[in-house]
Amino acid sequence: MTSNTDDQAGPWLDAQLHLLDRQVLDVDGVPVAVVDDLELSEVPVGQEIPIDTPPPVITALLSGAALATRIFGGRPPESRMQSTPWADIAEIGVVIKLGVQRDTLDLAWTERWVRDRIIGRIPGGRHIPQQEHDDDGGES
Amino acid sequence: MIITDLLGSRVFGPDFLGFVSDVRFIREDSAGRPARLYGVLVSPHARSSSLGFERSGVRSPWPIAALVRWRHRNSFLVRWNDIERLDDDRIQLRPGFQRASPELP
Repeated sequence: MTSNTDDQAGPWLDAQLHLLDRQVLDVDGVPVAVVDDLELSEVPVGQEIPIDTPPPVITALLSGAALATRIFGGRPPESRMQSTPWADIAEIGVVIKLGVQRDTLDLAWTERWVRDRIIGRIPGGRHIPQQEHDDDGGES
Repeated sequence: MIITDLLGSRVFGPDFLGFVSDVRFIREDSAGRPARLYGVLVSPHARSSSLGFERSGVRSPWPIAALVRWRHRNSFLVRWNDIERLDDDRIQLRPGFQRASPELP
């Protein structure tokens, strides 16, 4: 029997209700990913858990090809999941806001690769489009 | 371990009690500290999420609220310290475990 202390006054997070499937935005408000899973710290599995074992904590948000497995069962290989460290989270609400820019995350490597290797080699692909002006100097 | 290893797991005390319908965490006061696992929500009849209906005062839209609350009737919260063993698709609770209210404050 364990303590009945009810400290339900803190900021609570239910995984399915508050975290899973939430949109993740970076510090500039740019969409980064959707939370498909949560990574927990080490938990003793397949053995008795001593009563004073500290509870596991969320170490990262996982994103990747998890939609099909959540509908039909099973789990995607861990190599297909990209993680966002929990420490990068700035705010949890209707969306999850990060305190870092998207480019600093492993999660955006495919977009960076396409930008640098494909888009960047197209003439004009390395700068933002110039604004067109009318003859009198006003914006079109 | 990832959270989907826990969601939907069968929960046993002396006998079968239900399924893990959600996992509750508590955030530490200081920013940047990780959220620690507080307990698991056990639903005797359904593996699926209850969408928060049984955990708050939300009562609308009433047909959906009524259906979800009925599917998750008699749900309860079990704290981390009452979990004795985690196995694949199975959670064993300690003898004398306590059922807490699943409602969010």
